[in-house]
Amino acid sequence: MHNNSMKPLAYEACPQCDLLLNAEAIAVGIKAHCPRCGCLLYRPRHYSIERSFALSLTGLILFIPVNLLPLVGIVVLDNAQDASLWSGVASLYEEGLWGVAALVFLASLFFPFLKIMLSLLISGHLYFRKTHRHLSIWMRTLQHLDEWAMLEVYTLGIIVACVKLASRTELKFGFGLAAFIALLLVIVMLSSSLDEHLFWRRIDALNKSARKKT
Amino acid sequence: MSISNKKSALRQGLLRCHNCGYITTVLSTNTDNTPAAGTLNHCPRCDGELHARLPNSFQRTAALLCSAFILYIPANIFPIMIVTKFGVPEPHTIISGIVALINGGMIPIATLVFIASVLVPLIKMLGLSILLWAVQHRWQRNLRLLTVVYRLIAFVGRWSMLDIFMISILVSIVSSEALEQVLAGPAATAFAAVVVLTMLAANSFDPRLLWDRLGAH
Ligand SMILES: [Zn+2]
Ligand SMILES: [Zn+2]
Repeated sequence: MHNNSMKPLAYEACPQCDLLLNAEAIAVGIKAHCPRCGCLLYRPRHYSIERSFALSLTGLILFIPVNLLPLVGIVVLDNAQDASLWSGVASLYEEGLWGVAALVFLASLFFPFLKIMLSLLISGHLYFRKTHRHLSIWMRTLQHLDEWAMLEVYTLGIIVACVKLASRTELKFGFGLAAFIALLLVIVMLSSSLDEHLFWRRIDALNKSARKKT
Repeated sequence: MSISNKKSALRQGLLRCHNCGYITTVLSTNTDNTPAAGTLNHCPRCDGELHARLPNSFQRTAALLCSAFILYIPANIFPIMIVTKFGVPEPHTIISGIVALINGGMIPIATLVFIASVLVPLIKMLGLSILLWAVQHRWQRNLRLLTVVYRLIAFVGRWSMLDIFMISILVSIVSSEALEQVLAGPAATAFAAVVVLTMLAANSFDPRLLWDRLGAH
């Protein structure tokens, strides 16, 4: 029975309505939708592994200035005040709102970082065709992480805060903000270039060849 | 991809791994939709746990949704932000913050904040209630529309965090105690909890429960 179930079946199932579908090869540039519920099933990508590897490496480098430099600042009576990703978390924590502070920390710093690290590890292993026993766990974690990394929402938060402040004081934008916007673009491109079907097929092939060797 | 036959995979003894999409055969399932003894418990491809449907989907979603509804009240009654100008504290609730933006002539930003902090949480909570109601009462019509509602809820969920992020920036930037100071209020915790709870509720809802009733009797 185990042997039989290891053989891939020529079927797919819709994740949202469970309709059984015949598996078909889909060309790059075409979106496959479920005929019953309309759910987006598959959207193949060009050079998914190479792009993910390059983007996550760029993202990791951008993380350094984003963490160290202030995003926006104001000048009050010759007294400059800055806000960075960390200072927002720190002020909330000092005020005693540790729950909100933890959530802001996770959504704006920890999960985006974890997402980039996992993408780098997975695409790096796939790119160099190296196997690792945690490859499946990394990939599963990465899939569940997606909606909890909220840099695009944070960007909107920066814009609203800036509009509120701009009516009263003069704003100054630092290099940190430019790095932050670059990081945002990298993360958005990373999400769209990741071809989950391809990644899982490659991970499966690597795991199988590793099992054969031992 | 073409339709194999107009039936669900599970009713034909096939099970989709919710992590990697791999299809395995099941011999039988228990009443709680877990694979019965003698069948696979872990996906042969990704080694994740196999479930025919998300475990206890209905109960989990209902419990998380109820908690979100309850916390939505303090989130709107208590101040989310306290602005102290020249030593005079001025508390703002979510609604009064939006009113202040309108009075200040910042209509586009007021609309944005209204959508993210008022409309989105309400749409999410009402939408999930309708989805649970539809599963409970075995609706067989408009299933496609209900699935679109589910996708909408899953997509918009995270955007309610806008207010929380904006406050975290304002709190750290406006802290010159002589002139003006911004503090986060108690509603911030409640509102953040509402956002997280509704996101978790949407994640634990399995839209396939809607389609499982189709033609079942
Ligand atoms: Zn479907
Ligand atoms: Zn799997």
